[in-house]
Formats: sequence, structure tokens, C-alpha cells
Amino acid sequence: MTAKILTHAVSRPPTPRVAWRRINPTIVIFLVLLAAICWISPLYRTAPGLMSLLQRASPVIILSAGQTFVLVTGGFDLSVGSLITLVVVACALITGGDGSLTWIALLAAYGIGLTVGLINGAIVAWGKVPSIITTLGMLLSVKGVAMLWSGGAPEGYLPVNLRYFGRYVWRHVPLIQRLPVAVVVLVGSLAVLVWLFHFTNFGRLLLMIGDNPRAAELSGVPVRRQRMLAFVISALAAVTAGILLGGFSGVSVDVGTGYELEATSAAVIGGVVLLGGEGSMTGAIFGGLTLYALFTLLNLIGFPEPLRVAVQGLILVAAAALTARRSGTRQ
Amino acid sequence: MPNRNGTAAIGKAVDGTVLLSMQDVSKFFGSIQVLDTISFDVRAGEVHALCGENGAGKSTLMKILTGAFPVSSGRILLNGQEMRFVHPVEARAAGIGIIHQELSLLPHRTVAENILLGREPSRGGLVDRRRMVTEARDALARLGSAIPPEAPVASLSIAEQQVVEIAKAIATHARLLVFDEPTAPLDTVESAKLFRVIAELRSSGVGIVYISHRMREVFEIADRITVLKDGCGMGTFDAADATPDKVIRLMVGRPVSALFPPRSATTPGEALLTILGGGNAALHDIDLTLYAGQILGVAGLEGSGKTALARALVGDQRFTTGQITFRDGRPAPRSPREAVQRGIAYLSDDRKAEGLGLRQSLRDNASLALRALAAGLALPSIANRNPGRIDALFRDVEMRAADFGVAVGRLSGGNQQKVVFARWLATAPHLWVVAEPTRGIDVGAKATIYALLRRYADAGGAVVMVSSDLTEIIGASDRILVMSGGRILVELPAGSAESEIMAHAVHGPGQVAELVA
Repeated sequence: MTAKILTHAVSRPPTPRVAWRRINPTIVIFLVLLAAICWISPLYRTAPGLMSLLQRASPVIILSAGQTFVLVTGGFDLSVGSLITLVVVACALITGGDGSLTWIALLAAYGIGLTVGLINGAIVAWGKVPSIITTLGMLLSVKGVAMLWSGGAPEGYLPVNLRYFGRYVWRHVPLIQRLPVAVVVLVGSLAVLVWLFHFTNFGRLLLMIGDNPRAAELSGVPVRRQRMLAFVISALAAVTAGILLGGFSGVSVDVGTGYELEATSAAVIGGVVLLGGEGSMTGAIFGGLTLYALFTLLNLIGFPEPLRVAVQGLILVAAAALTARRSGTRQ
Repeated sequence: MPNRNGTAAIGKAVDGTVLLSMQDVSKFFGSIQVLDTISFDVRAGEVHALCGENGAGKSTLMKILTGAFPVSSGRILLNGQEMRFVHPVEARAAGIGIIHQELSLLPHRTVAENILLGREPSRGGLVDRRRMVTEARDALARLGSAIPPEAPVASLSIAEQQVVEIAKAIATHARLLVFDEPTAPLDTVESAKLFRVIAELRSSGVGIVYISHRMREVFEIADRITVLKDGCGMGTFDAADATPDKVIRLMVGRPVSALFPPRSATTPGEALLTILGGGNAALHDIDLTLYAGQILGVAGLEGSGKTALARALVGDQRFTTGQITFRDGRPAPRSPREAVQRGIAYLSDDRKAEGLGLRQSLRDNASLALRALAAGLALPSIANRNPGRIDALFRDVEMRAADFGVAVGRLSGGNQQKVVFARWLATAPHLWVVAEPTRGIDVGAKATIYALLRRYADAGGAVVMVSSDLTEIIGASDRILVMSGGRILVELPAGSAESEIMAHAVHGPGQVAELVA
């Protein structure tokens, strides 16, 4: 009897209201913010203006997409900010301004990322240490290594060909006129991440692990291996973001500070549920865009910089609360 | 006019007068009826035993009595006055106490603080500790107990804590006490003491409801016995007129319906798995052979080791001793993943905690085992590449949901269970280990699941079905094992009487003859 009633409820064709609800609300919020930005500043009404917005947003978007792999399993990765710092410092010290060493520096950067991700993942998966503690410890350790290695106060800039990824802009591109290399890196990275997350067994199983790890384990999912790989992906995404950021800014031990929380905020704004089980790449990407658009807007209206962080905190909590409500109604 | 405030509703009941009367009580959860017009009464100064299998409705009936659930229909009269409790506090105020299986005392407080919790005597705004101790000592003395009121509860044995719990109830002038399986955590000596306390309470005019499925105790202590089965009352008797056998038959007896597909006539196939002396922390001396083509039913009470056996077979709680040999010569799987890779399916008895990702879609849940097998670097997602394969499985299990993209948490229990079955069908296992395969699901879904299991056995697979539902053990099994204390007590042939299985399960070895003979 109950089954029949439920079947009926389920088989009802989706009403327009339901279809509307399936659109990620983050997309709408982003478009509203973008319209506001364009309204205030004529600069952003042009294709080059938008491209430059996208260029500067790309590290956060990549970070947020990578972090989502960990978040949907029910974990956190707080070490990505420090990892960015270490990557930038390592690139500076390895090259010493010599462009011919750039490829070695890049290889080393990804090697560092792989190592950090594997250690995070192994401690969480096999050591059964909560990920928030593990990666908090890793945040401190990685930052410590960066400071020790650089003697505490690294200076200068990366070689030009290493800054190319974050800074360089191709001009005279048809239609959009200017195409930043960072946007190409962004699109390439996202293609890989979206494929991994949505179109592979590995990615689909991450959501099941976040929803019910015990059910996943009893059905034969290699839960620990999957968890570890999620941290590796998050770390590799952080390395990519670090390489882009190294192009924008100078070398310092504060280059990556705070990015772990920006990435988490962005993912949560995009509807990724903390403690796991729900989330999508679309959400993570538009969450990153939304967060960056919001910062841009606050800048444009002359919002004091320190308050920006407070606003980010408010948004994080509000987005998490909203997502909890939405997921509650869907069950 | 129902008495809503309920204070002192129970006056001075004369021994033998009806204290409480539940008349035609029914209870629905949603559209599922769990109690069907049950009438039940308790007299002052009697012990009234309430018997029934797990899921018969005992707990629900008592939750209604103690105000935890509202009734759907029917009346509850206390001393002739109609009561409608909307909260356990009201029932307590009306003089109804319950001693739960899990004690609810605060371990770091003293005995006296626990007994008078929430009603601490005060003087000048401060707790009057001296009066508190005196009152607690009085309550304990009524039970013939000399537990010091100043002792912290954590320092007491379980049996002593139970006495404190009873003292807490009578200190609130409870005139009706419900004991829910009180002897489960006690040894024989402690149980005997408890019975003396209960006898004491009875002679002081308290009405007592005693829930247990230990026949020995019921017949030792009860004046009257009421049997419930599947939410229906099977009758109330004077204990003197009944026998354990009769009560057990009423608890379990019902003609096996047409739910079950016929057993195939073919003889069992080759041995799929042989266990000699298998054991771990929860299992001892397990000797067992599984044959292809057979459904093996495993019966037993909670804690009998039947679930532990299922978990050991799939490598979740491994065998630590004994010789386990599969047909291919390999030992027992060391992890659930290895079990899945070797074609063993495991259906947990706790669907929500161990079976499903409730927020994931039907398709994602049904693809879980397939994806797990393909995990690692085999990347293309099966369900994305070939949703038709999963959808065909849904048709196999007669899934009636039209949209396979919705979250599983929105389905009924029966449909949820079908999703789990679809998941395992996808991997074509040769051994199914299913625990409580039809718990909490509707009759239609039950029939589908029995048919699936039988079809799998007929196709040469083996099924181990662990269940507390004796109807299904009898109806679906080719062989029946009865477990108790982590051991296999006896193997019974298909179609054994339910009373015989129950007698083994309830009494353990050695006491069966006297009951079944």
C-alpha cells in the first residue's frame, strides 16, 4: 500500500517548479553579481574585461573543484593554501630566476603535491585521523617547510616563462580579442576534473562514500584507496592553482594564505554538502566564480578590505545552512 | 471527558480490580498498521506477561501505554477514566513507570540523586540532601534492598542499577510498572533476586506488565499471559491454564502462506563451502557445509550469533579459527571487497546504516557493487555508459518507481530493498548472504524477494538467509540451522515446525525435549 503511494508520488511528471529547482541556484546568484559588476564598471562589459575576471578567478575555481573531491567524501583539505605557498617558494628557489630550469621546477611542484596528497590521504584513510586535524597539521608542516627552505623571507619573482601560465595573454584572438593562458589552463584542468568526477566510477563512488561509507565498504568499494586519491587530486589541483598564482603575484610565504577557506567556501556556495554525499563540479565551478565575483563587486563599491573576510565567513555559514535545507527537502 | 492532566489518576486500587484497560487499540505508522484492535488489561496486584516475537507489537503497545506514541484508535482507561497521554511525562505523573532494557540512570550521580531526579526535595531554595537520602532509602527498603543512597551509580552492578531504576519508579508512586526484558542483562542469581522484588511489588498492589520471550521466566512469575503476533492479539490466559508449548505456538504459528515459491525437486548440488570448527570472538565451533542450489535458513534470537555468522562469511568480521574451504580451494574472504570480487553478495540487516546511500539515486545505488568491482583505474562509469543494463535489473526485481534518478531515501522500504537486490544481481554472485531480507517491507516486495532467492538457488547458487522471522525461515529454507550463544545448536529439515525452532532458539540445548515432547 505504502509502496503504491510512493510510486505514484515518484512517477508524477516533473512540474516546471521542480525543473526550476534543479537548476543550481549558484548560477543565478553568479549572473546577478556579474550584472551588478557590469552595471557599476564599464570595464567588465567587454570581452577582454570578462576574460580578465575569469583569469583572476581561475586559481580559486581550480582549488574549489579539486577540494570538492575531498568534501564529497565527508572530508576537508585545509592544507591547500600552504601547499600553494610551498609550490611558489619551491619554484622560485629551484629556478633562482633561471628560465631554463622551469620544467624541472614544474615537475618538482607536482611531485611535492603528489607527496602531500598521499600523506594526507594515507593518514586519513589508514590512520583514521579526522581529515580536519590531519590537514590542519599538514597546513602547519607544509608552511614550516616553505619558511625553512626559503629562510623565512623569499623575494623577487619567478622566471618569465614560469609566470607565463598565470600572466600571459594572447592578443588579437577572434571574437574575444584577448585570451589569457590561465583561462586555457582553467578549462583544461576542469575538463579533467569534471571527467573524473562525473564520468568515472572513481568519481561516482566518492559520493557514495560520503553518503554511507559502511554501505560502500560492504559492497566492495576500496574506500581507503578512494579517500586517499581524493586528497591527491585536491593537492594536484592546489599545485596547478599555485603555478597560476605565482604568475600573478610575487614570491612570499603568504602567497597561499587563506586559500583553503576560500576554496571550501566556494564549494559550499556551489551546493557541495559539508560532511559529504552531495556535490557537483558545476556547483564547485560556479561557487568559485560567485565568490570571486562577490570580491570584485565589494572592491568596486569600495568595501573595506578587512570586512571582506567577515563577509566571506557569513556567506560560508549561510550557504551551508541553505544547502542543508535544500538537501533536507530532497530526501 | 479524558483526564488530560492525569495527576493521581490511579487512586487506591483494591487488589484484583482492573487498574488499566486498553480497549481495541490500533496503531498506524503512515499507512502501515502495526497494532490491530488490541485489548489488554492489567489488574492491581498481578503480573501480566506480554509475549510475542520481535516485531509482534509488544514495544509499540507499551510505548502507547507509557505515552511515547499516541493511539490511532481505541481507548485507554486508567481506573475507569479515559486517558490520552501526549507525552511520557503525563504517563509518569499518572503512575505508570517503565523499566527499559537499557537503563537510563546518570552514571556519575549518586543513587539518591537518580531516584529523585527532577523532584529533588528543597528547603529554602536549596536541595535538601538529607531528605533526599531518606526518601531514596525508603524507596529502596520497600524493594528489600540495602544499596547505599550515597553511592555513585557507576559503582553498582547492572542488577543493582536495575533495582535503583525500579526504586525511581516507585518513588514517584507508580502503581503500574512495565518491565521490558528485564532479565536480559542478568545472571540466574540476579534474576531470582529481581523476581523477589517483583513479587514484593505485586503483593503491595502494583500492577506489573512483564515482557519476555523466555518461557521459563514467564511461567515462573506471571499470573496471566497475553500473546501478540503481527500486531494482533492472540488471546489472554491464566498462566495456570496455559503451557509453554501453547504460548510458543501462538507466538509463531500461522499457516505458511503462498508467499513462498515451491522448492525445486532436484537434489542439492556440490558443496560450495565447507567450514570446520570456524570461530571468532562471537562464534564458536561452527561446522557447516553449503550446497549449491540450496537456501540455508539461519534462525536464532538477537545475540545468538546468526548475524555474526553472516558477517564472517563475507569477511567483515573474519573467522579467526577453523578451516574454511570454498569450492575453488580458497579460504574465507579477508575483506568485504575480496568477498565481492569472489562472487559473494552480502545484504545487511540494517538497510539504512549499511545498505544504501539514501541521498544517492536508485541507479547510483544499484551500480555500487559493479562500480566497486571496476574501481581503480578502470574509469568509464558503467551507469553512465550503459544505463540500460541497470534499468533492466530494476525490471528484474519488479521495481515500480518510474524515475530511477531520484534519491533512494524517498522510496518505501520494499523498493529500497529491491534496489539492494538489483545491486547484487548486477554482479551475478554464486553465494548470497542475506540478513533479514524482508525486514520492514510490504508483502508484495517480500514475495518478489523470496522468488529471486529461489531463482538464484535453482540456477546453482547458494543462499544463506539469516532471519528473525520464523515464517520466512520455514517457508523459504531448504535446511534450517538454529543458533544460540554463537554456536549452531541443531540443524532441522525443511518444513520443521515453528514451535520446534522457537523452542530451540529460546531455551538452548537440553531443554527442548521437555517442551516439544
